[in-house]
Amino acid sequence: MRFAAVALFCAAMAAGCKAPSAPAAPAGDAPRASAKPIRIAMIAKSSTNPIFLSARRGAETAARDLTLKTGVPIEIVWLTPPTEDGQIQAQRIAQAVNEGASAILVSCSDAGKLTGAIDDAVARGVPVMTFDSDAPASKRFSYYGVDDRRLGEQVMSELGKLLNGRGKIAILAGNQNAPNLRRRVDGIKAEAAKFPGIHIVGTFYHSETPQDAAAEVIRVNNAYPGISGWAMAGGWALYTKTLLTDLDPKRVKIVAVDALPPELPYVEKGLAPVLLAQASYLWGNVGVTKIVDKLVYKQDVPPIVSMDPVRVTIDTLGSWARQLRQWGFPDVPEEYLNLGQR
Amino acid sequence: MSVRHRLERLLRAEQAGLLAIITLMVIGLSLAAGSHLDEATGRTVNNFFNSYTLIQTATDASFIAIMAVGATIVIISGGIDLSVGSVYALAGVSMGLALRAHPPASGAGAVLLAVCVCAGIGAAAGALNGLLVVGLRVHPFIVTLGSMWILRGIAFVISKAESILLPEALVRFAKAPLGLGAALYPVPMLAMVAVAALGAVYLGQTVMGRHVYALGGNAEASRFAGLRLGRIQVGVYLLAGLTAGVAAFLGSSFYGSVSCGDATGYELYVIASAVVGGARLSGGRGSAVNAMLGAVLIVLIRQSIRTLHLDQNYEWIIIGCAIVVAVVLDQASVRFAARRLARRAR
Repeated sequence: MRFAAVALFCAAMAAGCKAPSAPAAPAGDAPRASAKPIRIAMIAKSSTNPIFLSARRGAETAARDLTLKTGVPIEIVWLTPPTEDGQIQAQRIAQAVNEGASAILVSCSDAGKLTGAIDDAVARGVPVMTFDSDAPASKRFSYYGVDDRRLGEQVMSELGKLLNGRGKIAILAGNQNAPNLRRRVDGIKAEAAKFPGIHIVGTFYHSETPQDAAAEVIRVNNAYPGISGWAMAGGWALYTKTLLTDLDPKRVKIVAVDALPPELPYVEKGLAPVLLAQASYLWGNVGVTKIVDKLVYKQDVPPIVSMDPVRVTIDTLGSWARQLRQWGFPDVPEEYLNLGQR
Repeated sequence: MSVRHRLERLLRAEQAGLLAIITLMVIGLSLAAGSHLDEATGRTVNNFFNSYTLIQTATDASFIAIMAVGATIVIISGGIDLSVGSVYALAGVSMGLALRAHPPASGAGAVLLAVCVCAGIGAAAGALNGLLVVGLRVHPFIVTLGSMWILRGIAFVISKAESILLPEALVRFAKAPLGLGAALYPVPMLAMVAVAALGAVYLGQTVMGRHVYALGGNAEASRFAGLRLGRIQVGVYLLAGLTAGVAAFLGSSFYGSVSCGDATGYELYVIASAVVGGARLSGGRGSAVNAMLGAVLIVLIRQSIRTLHLDQNYEWIIIGCAIVVAVVLDQASVRFAARRLARRAR
């Protein structure tokens, strides 16, 4: 066994050969001599989801800008687990506190699991803010994100208008464990009840990967040939190109949450005439700004800072594409960047 | 016994290699971790070598380590159990639903009910695995692969995919500071040590434990020796389920909620801990204490990625490489030792 242990140690040490990354230095003005650096631990749901990578970019941009503005060095420490796991997130919160984080910005995969960890952090003097997915029973000082139920209602309202209030629809709901998605589905169903001519054939859950989501849509479409609309609580299925060829825009309309670059062709082709985008970049950007407001400027931050979704249609496609590019998304199709520009 | 003799015995001990590596890693991480100023006390605190991080690391390892003790017993017998993560989820969800349906009047009652439900469900699921392996004569890999899906599916259906909050009494129990001070929670760590000690006693000091080694070492010889192999097999899977139930009780109580997605993928960490701890997948070799140390080592590697601010996207690659390299070298060392013994015999 000693050989095995030595091997493990060597592998771990080889991994450790890389020097620890230094905190981001302020890009311009030198910090005030008395300014104490601020380290914000950012814990999103999963580091493999592009939506959270844009949130990280937003947080790092805000940290850079605010470092220049306030003279206080601000560093973002990215502690997001590779896949969604509330237990790992709780461990990362404890780790951030142990390593002297000044504040924590977290999107909760499982509010129940994180409430205790957030309360422990607050008890040890580290303020916590949530974004995207809240832990309302915890002692976090603020939440920034959309009202998920309202967002679900908006999805259904848009779809109802597109279908003239008639037809069979299906709901694509993602992971059944995610409380924010469940609230969106509740909103979709509540709004659908206002359209007597609309019949929901079912709510369909799946692993939150583009391939699984697209496969689920195709399976359901084959099983229910009369479906004329899809209300999607997230944009997973539209991250693939499959549905562009498998669904006929004349027969099926989609309204989905989120409008990331891979989804934009669906707007152009008319298959998804309306997407309700969450400005994920702002999760990080506004989150860091609010934390700095609290820590540096000693301002009161409201317990809920509401984010309104952005309505992306063929008319706003160009401006939204440019906004995505400005937020650092490298894969925005070039053809959309010039749309609507004089 | 002289000090020198004791030292030699310690160095020859099965755990010496793992303990040495863990100690070296702790020293290395402490030196490389850097420090920060503690706002509350005004003192400079090492980012790794502080009571909070050390206990947190042990806590993170404890839930995996407890399951790894059970998994090691199965592996020693020549079997494998892929369902421990699902048993964890089912036991946790059942506990949450039972406490919701019958809220006990007292905190002690809640803890007692939770322990009974978790241990009962875990043991029952484990026994079912064992019975299927023995009764159907299907390879345990297939049986437990099936039960992994079935048990998580049951957890999914009965919980309706809800995240169920647990009573405060359970959280207070799992997070009892035991006099260490605020925000230091040693209960999971102590439970891990206790389970590993019990596992070591079972494997090393009881007749049943020796039967497990005999079965894994040579099933045919064991059968001819009159051992009741079916009973031993059911017993080891029952123990694996039981440890998963205990881990579910502690883990769920510590985090205060349960859901059907809990411990997804943990079976791989559990098996990796057993293997890194020296358990031979073909059976006949392994140790409960080493399984615990294997879990601690894996969690320590994970922790080092954070502490050294390495790019965490490399976490899976690093852990995967470490496990493969460890097992390959371990097998080489076994072959080398066998050859050396053969040479001596000649």
